[in-house]
Amino acid sequence: MFKSLNLGVAAVALAVSGAVSAGPLGIGSTATPEMIAGWDIDIRPDGTGLPAGEGSVAEGEGLYEAKCASCHGLFGEGAGRWPVLAGGEGTLDTAHPEKTVGSYWPYASTLWDYIHRAMPYPAPQSLTDDEVYSISAYVLYLNDIVDDDFVANKETFAQVKMPNEPNFYIDDRPDVKNERCFKNCADPKSFKIVTTINGVTPTGHFKEDSGVAANHYQGNPSDANGGAAAPQKVAMSDAATAGKAVYDKACQACHNMGVAGAPKVGDVAGWTDRIKQGMATLNDHAINGYQGANGVMPAKGGNMSLSDDEVKNAVAYMVESSQ
Amino acid sequence: MTKLYEPSLPKLMEAIATEAKGMRGMDRRNFLKGGIAAVAGLSSVQMIPKANASANLPPNLPEWQSYLGRGVVAKPYGEPSEFEDLQRRTVPWLTADAASSISMTPLQDLEGIITPSGVVFERYHGGIPNVNPDQHRLIIHGLVERPLVLTMDDLKRMPSVSEIRFIECPANGGMEWRGAQMEALQFTHGMLSCCEWTGVKLSTLLDEVGVKPEGKWILAEGADASGMSRSIPLEKALDDTIIAWGQNGEALRPEQGYPLRMLNPGWEGNTSVKWLRRLEIGDKPWHHREETSKYTDLMPDGRARRFTWVQEANSVITSPCPENPLTQPGFLEIRGFAWSGRGKIKAVDISFDGGVNWERAELKGLVLSKALTQFSFKTKWNGQPWLLQSRAIDETGYVQPTLKQLRDERGGWSIYHKNSIHTWNVTESGDVFNVQIS
Ligand code: HEC
Ligand code: HEC
Repeated sequence: MFKSLNLGVAAVALAVSGAVSAGPLGIGSTATPEMIAGWDIDIRPDGTGLPAGEGSVAEGEGLYEAKCASCHGLFGEGAGRWPVLAGGEGTLDTAHPEKTVGSYWPYASTLWDYIHRAMPYPAPQSLTDDEVYSISAYVLYLNDIVDDDFVANKETFAQVKMPNEPNFYIDDRPDVKNERCFKNCADPKSFKIVTTINGVTPTGHFKEDSGVAANHYQGNPSDANGGAAAPQKVAMSDAATAGKAVYDKACQACHNMGVAGAPKVGDVAGWTDRIKQGMATLNDHAINGYQGANGVMPAKGGNMSLSDDEVKNAVAYMVESSQ
Repeated sequence: MTKLYEPSLPKLMEAIATEAKGMRGMDRRNFLKGGIAAVAGLSSVQMIPKANASANLPPNLPEWQSYLGRGVVAKPYGEPSEFEDLQRRTVPWLTADAASSISMTPLQDLEGIITPSGVVFERYHGGIPNVNPDQHRLIIHGLVERPLVLTMDDLKRMPSVSEIRFIECPANGGMEWRGAQMEALQFTHGMLSCCEWTGVKLSTLLDEVGVKPEGKWILAEGADASGMSRSIPLEKALDDTIIAWGQNGEALRPEQGYPLRMLNPGWEGNTSVKWLRRLEIGDKPWHHREETSKYTDLMPDGRARRFTWVQEANSVITSPCPENPLTQPGFLEIRGFAWSGRGKIKAVDISFDGGVNWERAELKGLVLSKALTQFSFKTKWNGQPWLLQSRAIDETGYVQPTLKQLRDERGGWSIYHKNSIHTWNVTESGDVFNVQIS
């Protein structure tokens, strides 16, 4: 198996005798332990990679509600089209399987690894190790996999067993075998022709002029972009102009489409009463976060690397785009 | 001396050109925009032909032939003609946010097997990172003799290869598992592309670091906001995996992983990690989110397949298709693409009656392993309705299955790896609809 590899090494030994530490081409520099430590973030099923630190279900509850619930729902049920994180037990062999952390994921290590590397979605790798322990513990708790007194750390976390682990097996395709038949390969009398569901395809780009097609397709092509784009005001303050980039980076995920109760930018009616509160309140809510009647606005949209001024600029942009 | 010599000829040409432009001029767009007012002063006789497309048709002199066109480097990086409308498109209701979403390649408009870089389908889990290549590094570590950190310059000094390979998202066609849903080829099959990729073979890099005997798996990790990560077995890495920096003759596009990506030919697109920053060699797979929660195949009994890497043989007719209806009776070349993650396409067959009877199509152009392959069938259409299908056979002898075969085995609510024979219903009017035969 390593034939080519050994040959390569042998060839180098001949050519560059003495250069023990270099590879066959001698290209590249040594990756130092410090470099590797910063980037080596992966966790494996046996717990390899889990760092020191710990966090409890109880601590996780508050963190989850502040940083995760706006998209994933207070109980992991998922807001709108954002992913569901909990529930679904007993549904995998039904016609409506719900694949969640609890019902589907084979290893708990994956949860720690993923939350740490990719969540919260607008601010990846912003959580401390303790926070990842407690939020992971809380998500497991939402899935009835650990009790409410569970405290996660390197040792306890590696021992968590996921109920669906035994139900995965290695790809065994090809699983179907078609024949290359040429004559009378199927019985046309048994054919049931299923046509498309009208109105779900964004076909505005090619169906405009075709009479027959227009009858077949009854959707409204002008809805095709979902009305997602915020209308641009002509003249904006400097703060708002600077705030657009911040908004695009850290706020649009929720405020473009109105996710999880976030007021949509550009929705004048939705902003009127908010704007009446005054900029100081709006800035305070955006910087420090708050629980409103419609949902949770996470502090700085979950992106703590933003300065207060950057957030204020983003608020200015949002307000000026929504008047 | 110089005065006489130098500017006179160009000046004269310019003057003639300007005049010609003024007379016949006003390109189509300006004319439409400015209307009559913009060309006031010209007689109505000169006006009429301009509004009329036939003014450019024989026997008339086409407007664009009557003055000089754009010169060199007017556009240092060129773009398609303004008359073309080649675009990626998305299905907005599919996902909650554009940074975790998908767009599709306009297969209906492609001419040949290479997908232009600008319209290669997109799939992001955390948007496109804006990576500065001078500050980008690839670290290779784990069960190796010599952990290395490589700059882009280091990588480009290595022996390189160029290969034409398709990349397909395993969710291609996934919206069609439960029933016909998408009324356009771009949405039923557009999570597919084929480019020429240039880079260094991963086996070369592994020689360079020296994999220890216990090393059997490689974790590939991206530098994007999702830190995309997948476990790749060493066999694949030593076989044909490429670490690529080039795409269709230039640097990778940001959308495809600039400045560095992995490419696992024939395997589901998600394994070809973009914006590659790290390779770790280990003894077992990592079972990360993208190979457990996602990209596993739930079966009807509630169990699930994992490591379903290969994109099995597939094909689709691109003309006619819903976007390319038949406009007149007579000669017709039915065209399409076939591809297989297991190697070369050996043959493609066509059925006009929903799979009852089949005829052999021709393969044309390059027939490459794990690449889009064109097929062609010359026929006549005289207004008869068709249930038009194509069926690919690859060099392993695998025959593209029917939808019924797939559903009988995998159930009706799978997501990935739907490579079944596709049916276009060509109606008497020449319009083409996506249908399923069950
Ligand atoms: C702004 C919305 C948003 C917020 C806030 C957010 N997420 Fe997510 N989450 C997402 C999206 C989008 C995905 C899917 C990403 C992709 O495309 O791969 C996701 C995926 C996940 C998944 C994987 C789901 C699956 O079934 O594969 C987990 C687990 C998760 N998030 C946990 C968290 C946690 C914990 C937090 C808080 C620390 C959090 N998320 C905050 C949007 C969000
Ligand atoms: C994870 C989703 C999410 C993100 C990301 C997010 N917000 Fe919000 N935001 C919300 C929700 C939900 C509300 C509404 C809460 C309520 O009033 O019920 C809100 C409300 C607001 C308000 C109105 C406050 C008020 O008092 O009416 C402002 C201003 C605001 N957000 C600014 C921002 C800024 C600036 C950012 C980016 C730095 C941002 N948001 C990112 C979810 C989000």
